[in-house]
Order: sequence, then structure tokens, then C-alpha cells
Amino acid sequence: MTPELDPVIHAQARLRVVVTLNTLPEGDRIAFPGLKDLLGMTAGNLSVHLSKLEEAGYVEITKTHRGRTPVTYVALTRRGRVAFEDYTAAIRGLLDTSVPPASGVT
Amino acid sequence: MDDDERVLSPEETLRLIEQQGATAAHRLMPDPVPHYLAWGVAWFVGFGVLFLHHGLSGTPYAPVPLGVALALLFGLMAMAMLISAMTMWQLRSPVRGVSQERGMMYGFAWGFGFFAMWMIAVRFGQLLPGSERNLLWASLSMMVVAVLYMAGGAIWLVRPMFVLGAGLAVLNAVGTAAGPGWHALLMSVGAGGGSVVAGLVLRRRMRA
Repeated sequence: MTPELDPVIHAQARLRVVVTLNTLPEGDRIAFPGLKDLLGMTAGNLSVHLSKLEEAGYVEITKTHRGRTPVTYVALTRRGRVAFEDYTAAIRGLLDTSVPPASGVT
Repeated sequence: MDDDERVLSPEETLRLIEQQGATAAHRLMPDPVPHYLAWGVAWFVGFGVLFLHHGLSGTPYAPVPLGVALALLFGLMAMAMLISAMTMWQLRSPVRGVSQERGMMYGFAWGFGFFAMWMIAVRFGQLLPGSERNLLWASLSMMVVAVLYMAGGAIWLVRPMFVLGAGLAVLNAVGTAAGPGWHALLMSVGAGGGSVVAGLVLRRRMRA
């Protein structure tokens, strides 16, 4: 039973994306290929997860050009930061309240 | 079903958050330790040899010509500068935005600071006798370093950096008042040793 865990973040791949973006200070953004390498994901896989996060308003995706090559930058929005903080707090809360016999996680 | 979609226990989730956060921080932040160690060694050896040249009471402790001592000091500092530039200037970093702008302004502050200092030392240095001229160069440059370290500590909220800068400012002032030999000794032990200590403190903090 996992009450009130944000379903957008509560998926391993998206959680890793959010954690990584959260290490950047506010106002910074990371280029898509850099994020992809850091996470060790395929471009397609990362794109899918990013668009889900974007739909939720958690990440902001900026497409610009450097010279003639298009570059995509990704950043966590303020809303995404708050959502991640809440999520982490919820996980810690679950750990604090979980008594020894409650090992019924499937 | 691929591994990504497996539901994690709260313990596993927390471990994932910590591990991924540490990995990302490690990959995205420059490692400041080589910078502090390089400067620590440069000051310790460079000012140490200068101290042997000057001596505390005006008699040299070792027959090192001034030219050799200064060449060693500036050579080691040039090497340290190269190491700093290589580790701090993250040309290949995929991150853009405020931290890049902040780092760029800070880098320019060093350039302008040393340019201004150089002009002052050239202008007034020629009016001074030899050992006082060296002290003018050494104390002015260490003052620029001290001020920029304190500023850097404030900008990035790195306390060891600020403490090192404040310590340098005080030692530099005391050493300048006491004369060339004392100044070289305080810079060698205080600035060189302090920079190595700051590097070791930061390394321990990064591993924690």
C-alpha cells in the first residue's frame, strides 16, 4: 500500500530523471545528450519520460539553436522541485512508520 | 516488463534517490580538490624558498639567488593556474544557465583584479628598494587572492573557501607589517598549508 505517492515520479526511470535535474541549481538547465549520458538511457526512452514529466508541469523543455545545430535543454520547474521534495518526504514518512512485520510490499 | 517499471520498496527508493543524486552531483560539479592542492604546493614551496632567501632577520638561511626563488614561485603558480583552469573551467559541461554565468563573472573578476594590481605594483614598485618591491608584489597579489576567495565562498556558500580567504587576508596583513622574511614564511606555511587543508576538508565533505 503506497498512499499519496506521486505517480508521475514514482517510476524508477522518471525518479532518476527528477533526482538528476534536482541537483542543478535553480536557473540552470542541462542539454539533452548530457542528461541521456548521465542516466545511461536511450534517447527514445528518455524522451518518453520527459514528455510525461512535462505534461505534469514538472520539467521545462527548451529547444534552441547553437549555430545551426538544434539543442534541447531540460530543467526542473519550481513545481517539479516541490513535487520531488514532497515525494521524498512521503518516502521518508513511509520508512518511519513502517513497523517490522509490515513487509507486505509486492 | 523491463526493470524500470518494477515497483521499489521505500528503502530501495530512498537508496536510489541518494545514489542517483550523488552520481549526478559528482558528474556535474567540478572537483575542487586538485585546485586547492596545486595552489597549496605552489605557495608552500614557492614562498618557502623565498623565505630561505630572505631569512627572518635579513640574513639568508640558504644561498638561493632571488631570481631563482622568484622564478620558482611564479613557475609553480603558473602551473597551479593551469590546473585550476583545467578543473574549474567546465567547457564540456552540458549544463547552461545561471551557474555558468556566475562562474564566468567570477573568472573575469580574477582577470580584472590582477590587471589592476599589476598596474599599481609596476607604478609604485619602481620607487621602492628591491626587497620592499618584492613584498609589494607578493602582498598585493595575495590580497587580491584573499578577497576573491572570500567572495567565492560567499557566492557558492563554501565555508572552507571563505575561511581560507579570510585567513589569507589576516596573514598577508601581518606578514606585510613584519617584513619580507616573515611575509614569505607566513604565506608558505599559512597560505600553502591552509590551501592543502581546505582541499582535504572539501575532499572529505564530498565523500561524506
